[in-house]
Amino acid sequence: MNRVLVALAIALFALAGLAPLVAMLPRIESADLGAMFAARNLELLGRTLLYGGGVALIAVALGLPFGFLVARTDMPLANLLRPLGIVPLLIPPMILAMVWTVLADIRGAPAAYAVSAISTFPIVALFSARAFERIDARREEAARLAGGWCAALRADLPLVLPSTACGACLAFVFTVNDYSIADYVSWLGQPKFSVYAAEIFANWRIESRPGLAVASAVPLIAITLGALVPALLLRRKGAMASLSGDFRQPTRFELGAWRWPAFTFCLALVAIGGLIPLARLFYEAGGAARGFELARVSRAFALAIERGREDLANSIVWSAAAATICAALALVLGHALERSRIGRALEALVVVPIGAPAVLLSVGVIVLWNHDWSARFYDEGGVVVLLLVGRFAAFAVLIATAATAALDPRLEESARLAGAGPVRTLARIVAPLLRPALVGGWIGAFVLALRELDVTMLTPAANRTAMFRIFNQVHFGRDDFVAAMALMLVFLVLLPGTLWSLFARRRLELLP
Amino acid sequence: MNAIELNGVSVRAGERTLLESVDLSVPEGAHLLLVGPSGCGKTTLLRVIAGLAAPAAGRVSLFGALASEGQRVVMAPEKRGIGMLFQGGALWPHLNARKQLEFVLDCCGTPRAQWKERVAELLEWVELPGYRERMPATLSGGEAQRLALARAIASSPRLLLLDEPLGPLDEELRGALLVKLHELHQRLRLTVIHVTHAPLEASDYATRTVRLRSGRIVDDTQAPGVRA
Repeated sequence: MNRVLVALAIALFALAGLAPLVAMLPRIESADLGAMFAARNLELLGRTLLYGGGVALIAVALGLPFGFLVARTDMPLANLLRPLGIVPLLIPPMILAMVWTVLADIRGAPAAYAVSAISTFPIVALFSARAFERIDARREEAARLAGGWCAALRADLPLVLPSTACGACLAFVFTVNDYSIADYVSWLGQPKFSVYAAEIFANWRIESRPGLAVASAVPLIAITLGALVPALLLRRKGAMASLSGDFRQPTRFELGAWRWPAFTFCLALVAIGGLIPLARLFYEAGGAARGFELARVSRAFALAIERGREDLANSIVWSAAAATICAALALVLGHALERSRIGRALEALVVVPIGAPAVLLSVGVIVLWNHDWSARFYDEGGVVVLLLVGRFAAFAVLIATAATAALDPRLEESARLAGAGPVRTLARIVAPLLRPALVGGWIGAFVLALRELDVTMLTPAANRTAMFRIFNQVHFGRDDFVAAMALMLVFLVLLPGTLWSLFARRRLELLP
Repeated sequence: MNAIELNGVSVRAGERTLLESVDLSVPEGAHLLLVGPSGCGKTTLLRVIAGLAAPAAGRVSLFGALASEGQRVVMAPEKRGIGMLFQGGALWPHLNARKQLEFVLDCCGTPRAQWKERVAELLEWVELPGYRERMPATLSGGEAQRLALARAIASSPRLLLLDEPLGPLDEELRGALLVKLHELHQRLRLTVIHVTHAPLEASDYATRTVRLRSGRIVDDTQAPGVRA
């Protein structure tokens, strides 16, 4: 691996994802450290941990069977339900909250738990499905010969559970760091549901105490990193245990009389997480309770395009730019993480931005770049792209690392012996072989950037995005406009993955 | 001149010792058979020579030039003038037969105008003349291994490393590939290091046999003669 290239990639990654966090540290004063352990903070922290843990458990309860059923059984329409199962993860959580709080008439903590679980169960499902698929047929057949399908499943579970646990850890991290669901649920009225990320935001914006904002973020960062490190180790044990050359694909489990109940379960999840919310948004765009009309849908979309055009364009351009930088970083750093001797240490560094609350990253960027000398950069899209790279590059990098782990190192070694230097080997041999992972990283970063709200709330330049416009308009009660904007955003979010599925022959790698 | 000179080479993986103070000199043009039980360090030794694994201690020299000293790699793998035939071929799955060879020709600076002729010559030699556009996934085990051999020699290396090249092949194909390797050795006067755990099938062609056990050389025998 070319050291200059890796050093440049590390420098860019550090500038985007680590420097804003480091820049915040000097702001902490001794009084802030004391306030960190105030009763209110501790109570909020406890509630947030319970919230994250509870959501992760529900996500496992839903995601593990879903992943198994779509990946390894003869359930009807399994191949269709599998991609549809990802949709809840792609829809911005606040939009799911908007829909389900109205439809199910739930408020407060139950609403936050339900919406977060719907939003995160696909993570567990994706990890579990991949692990179920990577079990060598011969291992399973040996168990079947000993005790039939039940024995096979019993033999499979210990191989799958590390991956499932990895998905659960990520679901936990997504939940405890999310601000938008709790904010929306609380905005609806009593009972409110405050979480720790909201407190950090309040400390910065309302109390104007940046030191306290940072200090109060420290326990959350420690806890999320505490969840991420085992997640990384578990994924090496589970899904990343690379496929050997003579791998034999396992056969599908026969469900017999359970085929249709299994189908109903999966369809219900897909409907709750994706189909019903989208249908509801369409209904809202057409006037909803005031009387649904297709003409109103057209008007709502026309209005959304007219007034939200600039925000949509900003969202697309900034997200695409950030995703492209993330994919480039993923190729260099993802490969270095797996192949170099200091890879494991680098990996621990790479996950730090995932562990930090988005609000803190955003505040760090303000502290770092809001100066006269950087005014042009700070006031324009450049800072937004940097924020989004800092927030999401780690996902793309980890996806590329996982794909590199499954790549036979001899393919690179033979290129080196043929006379190719490290850069040429990376460009001509590694990059084409990692294409599904690099495109997966690009799409993942693009989607996450499009639906991101937390980091865009504080930075003025980032206020001009589609997601922020939706957030603002929700609070002004523009239901038809919000629904039309949300549908357009969801369309954009789903577009790249759909195009790849339609035209590419290889399955996209979307998992770290 | 010696093609390979190893002095006190040791390799460790964590607590495990893969090679322990190995000393070995291989003269130019030799066909050395490296044998021993699984896990004795044969492949590790090849990888050290190729520069793909860093020794913990010792000196590696190739054709009189220092290649590595201790953990310091002096000569990168791509500068060592080595061709290597990996177990299973390790063909690049995204490149067809022609592109596999063109990649190597490009790397070693062969003028583009000569690529077509050279690719045809190499494919002809490994008896795959109609396979220019075939992807690795469509080749049988024997065809893949022959294409890998063509790729290994495309850069006209001075030293050819063979890592159990006959492993996945049936008896007939093994024989055919062995003859090809011998022909190559004779024609180009290459230095060949051939790793195998089944020494009998290749011993007719080797000029020397070195036996490894638990990371140490336990036997070093000059072969009585080479079959014509």
